[in-house]
Amino acid sequence: MSRAVMAGHAAGETSRPGQRTWAHAIVRWFFITTSLLFIAAVLLAPLATVFVMALSKGIEAYLHSFADPDTLAAIRLTLITAGVVVPINTVFGLAAAWSIAKFEFRGKSVLITLIDLPLAISPVISGMIFVLLFGLHGWFGVWLQEHDLSIIFALPGIMLATMFVTFPYVARELIPLMQQLGNNEEEAAITLGAGGWMTFFRVTLPKVRWGLVYGMVLCNARAMGEFGAVSVVSGHIRGLTNTMPLHIEILYNEYNFVGAFAVASLLTLLAALTLVIKTLVERTGYRRR
Amino acid sequence: MSIVLDQVTKLYAGVPVVNDVSLDIGDGEFFVLLGPSGSGKSTLLRSIAGLSGIDHGRIALHGRDVTHVAARKRGVGLVFQNYALFQHMTVAENIEFALRVRRMRARARRQRRQELLRLVALEGMDERLPAQLSGGQQQRVAVARALAHKPEVLLLDEPFGALDAKIREELRRTIRQVQRELGITTVLVTHDQEEAFAMADRIGIMNLGRLLEMGAPHELYSSPATRFVATFLGAANLILARRTPDGILIGATTVASAERASGERENEVVTVVRPEEVEVAADRAGLSSGYLAAGIVDEVVFTGALERLRLRLDPAQHGSLLAFGDGGGNASLQVTRTQHEQRGFEVRPGQAVAIGVRRVHVLPTPLSSFTACASSAVDAEALSRQPLLTELAARMKTRIGTRTEPQLGLPEGPCQGSDTFVGTIVVASGPRCAQEADWLLRRGARDLLALPRDAQAPQRVLIHWVGEAARGATLAISASVLRHVPAEAVYLGIVAGDAASPGHGHGMRELLDARSEAQMAHGLDMRTELHFGDGEQQLARRLAEAPGQMLILGVTDLQDFARRFGGLLEGESPVLIVHRGSP
Repeated sequence: MSRAVMAGHAAGETSRPGQRTWAHAIVRWFFITTSLLFIAAVLLAPLATVFVMALSKGIEAYLHSFADPDTLAAIRLTLITAGVVVPINTVFGLAAAWSIAKFEFRGKSVLITLIDLPLAISPVISGMIFVLLFGLHGWFGVWLQEHDLSIIFALPGIMLATMFVTFPYVARELIPLMQQLGNNEEEAAITLGAGGWMTFFRVTLPKVRWGLVYGMVLCNARAMGEFGAVSVVSGHIRGLTNTMPLHIEILYNEYNFVGAFAVASLLTLLAALTLVIKTLVERTGYRRR
Repeated sequence: MSIVLDQVTKLYAGVPVVNDVSLDIGDGEFFVLLGPSGSGKSTLLRSIAGLSGIDHGRIALHGRDVTHVAARKRGVGLVFQNYALFQHMTVAENIEFALRVRRMRARARRQRRQELLRLVALEGMDERLPAQLSGGQQQRVAVARALAHKPEVLLLDEPFGALDAKIREELRRTIRQVQRELGITTVLVTHDQEEAFAMADRIGIMNLGRLLEMGAPHELYSSPATRFVATFLGAANLILARRTPDGILIGATTVASAERASGERENEVVTVVRPEEVEVAADRAGLSSGYLAAGIVDEVVFTGALERLRLRLDPAQHGSLLAFGDGGGNASLQVTRTQHEQRGFEVRPGQAVAIGVRRVHVLPTPLSSFTACASSAVDAEALSRQPLLTELAARMKTRIGTRTEPQLGLPEGPCQGSDTFVGTIVVASGPRCAQEADWLLRRGARDLLALPRDAQAPQRVLIHWVGEAARGATLAISASVLRHVPAEAVYLGIVAGDAASPGHGHGMRELLDARSEAQMAHGLDMRTELHFGDGEQQLARRLAEAPGQMLILGVTDLQDFARRFGGLLEGESPVLIVHRGSP
């Protein structure tokens, strides 16, 4: 009985592995080609178009489009917004992740769900919320007008909308990381005599720093590229409340293709830079862990 | 004393995970807390370190009360199972962390670091990152880091758990050596009894949040006081025996001369026979020790230095076997034999052998076995399967017998069985229970458990006795019950009259006496309550106050028993009557 099984097994071994490798190769080739073609059609081609269109009238026209003061204002506004929003969301994300990973409290699951909310809501709605709150006919509209404060169609509104849309990124990145790493290192630090701040800055922060950087990078990418929410609250005032994505739309609608695609190319480069940082962070992070 | 714990209790969601633990650890002592997972030993260690607060009690380190002192100011060194090294710091930075916190100068830090690295045999590893070290090396760094600030106490939480056997042994030796060299008081938590034996000056054994016993390793192994310790610390055969004036009787064989308990009449006891104390020979004449029984070899396992046997006892005699190293239900005796013994007499499965016992240890526990007693066989059988009873018996690794007494409860009815009543007799609670209990107690039953049909494991055990002669036995039995049930103990003192009556002072004194006797003689911490009024009424009232309570009631006098205590035996709570008449 056992000999028969052995023989059958041996016979199978001579014919099967070759067959399997051959079939296997086809399947592998098929999947790899499909994914590459798909990426080329959906991702690479449009991205290439951006640069082709931007440079279609030559490099001088391309550079010239950045001399436009409105374009410069849009770039400046985007950078300022990201510069304010990312640090605030970083602090918030750290606090939220810390409290969720380290403590047990009532409403913890509600907090986790709420953090995800901006990812689920359409960006346009996110913008609308702020118009409903702070707009002229909104809840605080009259009060704001009386005190001569402008939020909607001004910088604060843009920042609020961007903050709302981007706040999940840091927390989302840190919560699983902190939960996985546990509390022991902090406890060790405490028994060694370290206080709360020292434990946080010397132990916790270095422990989660790669996750934190990654979260900030994602947060920044979204903050710079956000269109929908910002479009609703900005009012599209040229040179004043136009961020880069909004400015691109305006230029495009004016048939200024070179200008539109030049700014778009800048945004794309920023995105590429973000991805490079992310890759570096991931690699360094893996090597250290 | 380096570490003093006084009635430390820690609750988790209302349930005690550490239950009234009191403990003194001397200067330079290596103390091992041993227990199964979930016994509360790690929680206790974290409480000493200050990482988790306690709900009741007091902790002192070197005479300084630190109960309310923050963890970082307690000056202890703690080593975790998973090392908990700072991954982003080098070995040097890790070790110097505590010194940096204390703002020590760089040169002094370096000197101390090198001293420590030499101590744990890791010289020259200063600039490595933890990820570049093996598990054993990382744990050495963790030990060095925990010792850097010269703590007065070193706490180790399962430090070898994540290491393989060989490294474990090596590290064990290192830690013991470091501990001796520094003379630092050390507490180690583990679930591995071999580790405990190898390292400890003293072992404390925990189960269900209680510290059951403590002592030197060899003392605990050779003369444990509780079933749990007997079976947890090495393998043990638990055998029911009778203590008679002539000696300890297992079945019909006298296996040891009795250390006579003064004035005690013949009673049932639980004995411990270690597997290595069992002798096997071809026939009775071949035994060099006391004969126990005839048996058949069931299983032979070769494990290197030792051979493990499983012996099935002759069915006529095996009734007295209780539990075995593995806690299994089969009535088989566990035996280990050395190579030398194996060569003297080789055995094969199926072979008939004579079994002898070299040494028998009698557990001082007052609870031996349970016998469910009813007037019909069907009722007795049903009672013996009551969930709380089976749970208790399983935890105590004892058995439940049945006994049918057709005349049970009839005042003049004679006893059916010819045997005396041994162990704890169990009857069903109810309106007839008072008569039945009275009947049984008058015919020789000493411990009697009245069990309601739906009784669950109690969260609180109330203790009370009527008559001083029952005090010792009631306390002993209460302590034994509470070792197997995670409940709090409350002693009820009841003084006739009201708070203004002259009996008040006397009642208080009795209360404190009872408390200190429970603590001293049985290691049982109990709360005390003083009530005023009629004894039976107060007991009934207190018992009815909350569900999940059990009463242990000591009585000396059976006069009017059914009338006085009948009401207690009809309720929803289990009641254990301890009857000890004055001789």
